[in-house]
Amino acid sequence: MAHETHANTLPAELGAPAFVDGWKTRALAIGSVFSVIAVVLAVADGSIDHVLRAWLLGLMLTFGFSVGGLALLLVQYCTGGKWGLLLRRPLEAMSRTLPLVFAYWVVVAFSLKKLYLWAAVSDVSAALKSGWINEAQAHAIEFKRPMLNPGAFIWVSLLCFAIWAFYTWRLNDLGLQRDAASPATTPEWIKRFENISGPGIVVYAITMSAAAIYWVMSLDPTWYSSVYGLLFLVGQGYQVLALSIIVAVSLSKGEPFRTILRQTEQHDLGKFTFAFVMLNIYLAFSQFLIIWSGNLPEEIPWYLDRFKGGWGVIITLDFLFHWLIPFTLLLSRDLKRNKKRLVRVCQWMVFAKAFDLFWLIEPNFKDAARNLHFSWGILEYVAVPVAMTAFWVAFYCTQLKARPLVQTNDPHVAEILEAEHVDA
Amino acid sequence: MPPREGTYGLLAEFDTPGDLIRAARQARLDGWRRLDCYTPYPVEEAAEAIGFHRNKVPLVTLVGGLIGLVAMFALETWVSVWAFPLNIGGRPTYSWPAFLVPAYEWTILFAGLSAAFGMLALNGLPALYHPLFNAPNFRNGATTDKFFLCLEALDPKFDLSKTKAYLENFKPVSVVEVEY
Repeated sequence: MAHETHANTLPAELGAPAFVDGWKTRALAIGSVFSVIAVVLAVADGSIDHVLRAWLLGLMLTFGFSVGGLALLLVQYCTGGKWGLLLRRPLEAMSRTLPLVFAYWVVVAFSLKKLYLWAAVSDVSAALKSGWINEAQAHAIEFKRPMLNPGAFIWVSLLCFAIWAFYTWRLNDLGLQRDAASPATTPEWIKRFENISGPGIVVYAITMSAAAIYWVMSLDPTWYSSVYGLLFLVGQGYQVLALSIIVAVSLSKGEPFRTILRQTEQHDLGKFTFAFVMLNIYLAFSQFLIIWSGNLPEEIPWYLDRFKGGWGVIITLDFLFHWLIPFTLLLSRDLKRNKKRLVRVCQWMVFAKAFDLFWLIEPNFKDAARNLHFSWGILEYVAVPVAMTAFWVAFYCTQLKARPLVQTNDPHVAEILEAEHVDA
Repeated sequence: MPPREGTYGLLAEFDTPGDLIRAARQARLDGWRRLDCYTPYPVEEAAEAIGFHRNKVPLVTLVGGLIGLVAMFALETWVSVWAFPLNIGGRPTYSWPAFLVPAYEWTILFAGLSAAFGMLALNGLPALYHPLFNAPNFRNGATTDKFFLCLEALDPKFDLSKTKAYLENFKPVSVVEVEY
């Protein structure tokens, strides 16, 4: 009678519910429709430039889900916690989408000259004379040539992909072996995963920074910020947690997530997401404050490109979308405990992340810097990322179906099955 | 104000949170509104069982935070623009980006203090006297291992003998009358 707890039991069937196939079909349909729209827009615009810029946005977004998912997987193996057990298989599935992200990246690797000024300019002095680039750009391109050249771009990226693939394979492979092993070996498994994941987080931070610097920051060869890698790292936490909540809550319409997703863990994930919303604005604002205070000619043009000529509207909206709205909504305890509303906020956050990437990417290009203007091409920023993300979601659904959704060889399993309340 | 006299309420003692919650839930269902639970550690279900409604702590915290934000931002603006304008590297005296950091810190500070002191004030603390401490079993048990349900005399349903019999139904360890 005293302190009795009603433990739930894990359902016999731990595979992803059948409706995941429905998501996949829907994602493929959306992807196809938006691909067609992207092609139509490219024809209307008469140029492929914006397709590639928007493609880079789509790459960064899906890359964030995939490698960010891997990072959160590494983190939860080190921290433990029931939220980690809950998300383990969904995060593993995110990490296994790496091949698709690699395919997306290959397109960028073949379009270096179209996207990156440092790749397009081979003869710096001629370009300077013709007025194509200014003196600061000429100096930066020449000075940074050992780092910013196509060979370095491709080799560094390939090395990063190889490292991410290694961790993905290692964690996914061992994850299945762990479930097959006897419960007596659990403590060893916990140690083993910690030992892989701890250094893995450091390696991830370094490789992720390299990727963010090469793929996005180098779009403007004159500018640098030492917090840039961290900004993307926190951004990945932001979008991955949002996506994880969407996935976990959506999966809870069927077994096994109906049993294991308790309100407590949902609330915990909401709080965790709130922390990333805070950290995200903290880093973004401190970068701005430092550069604004310094007001140096090497640094400030990057912000001027993004504030003037109509971009002020975009950055104001970005501030509202990316921080103020999720921040004020996630303050509410009731909202974090309400499945439907929490999912709405998380969907909004994924959109806000894409919106922020638009502000980061588009003003790097000469025609758009300090000059926000309409062209058919700019609509590619909607069509291409939506199509790419939709295809990514379809691939993700396939990965989600590939293995059981709950890791069973873990002491947290018994805890997550306990009833949440002392009941009379 | 003359001291209140008479019965404060009837206090039932239970050994487990489960028994307490069952009794509290039933009492609420039976129409009791002036009742309270006392437990040695937080039992969320007990609060739910007696129909615990929303409190004003979040509102106090929000208002406190906004006051902190506005106060600090206004102070900085006043100092930098009117009281002591300085030319710092040619930047405008009204440099709002730089004002945001202290304003943010004050938001947190004021919100935190408002939450803590607002909670205490809304709890009616500090209270120098509470009639329940007149019950010896409450004094000994409420902070260690006993769970109490108190039906207060202010409730219109209260009747000393009937209520005592009512509480006995829940098979408590004891039911004692508490004086003011």
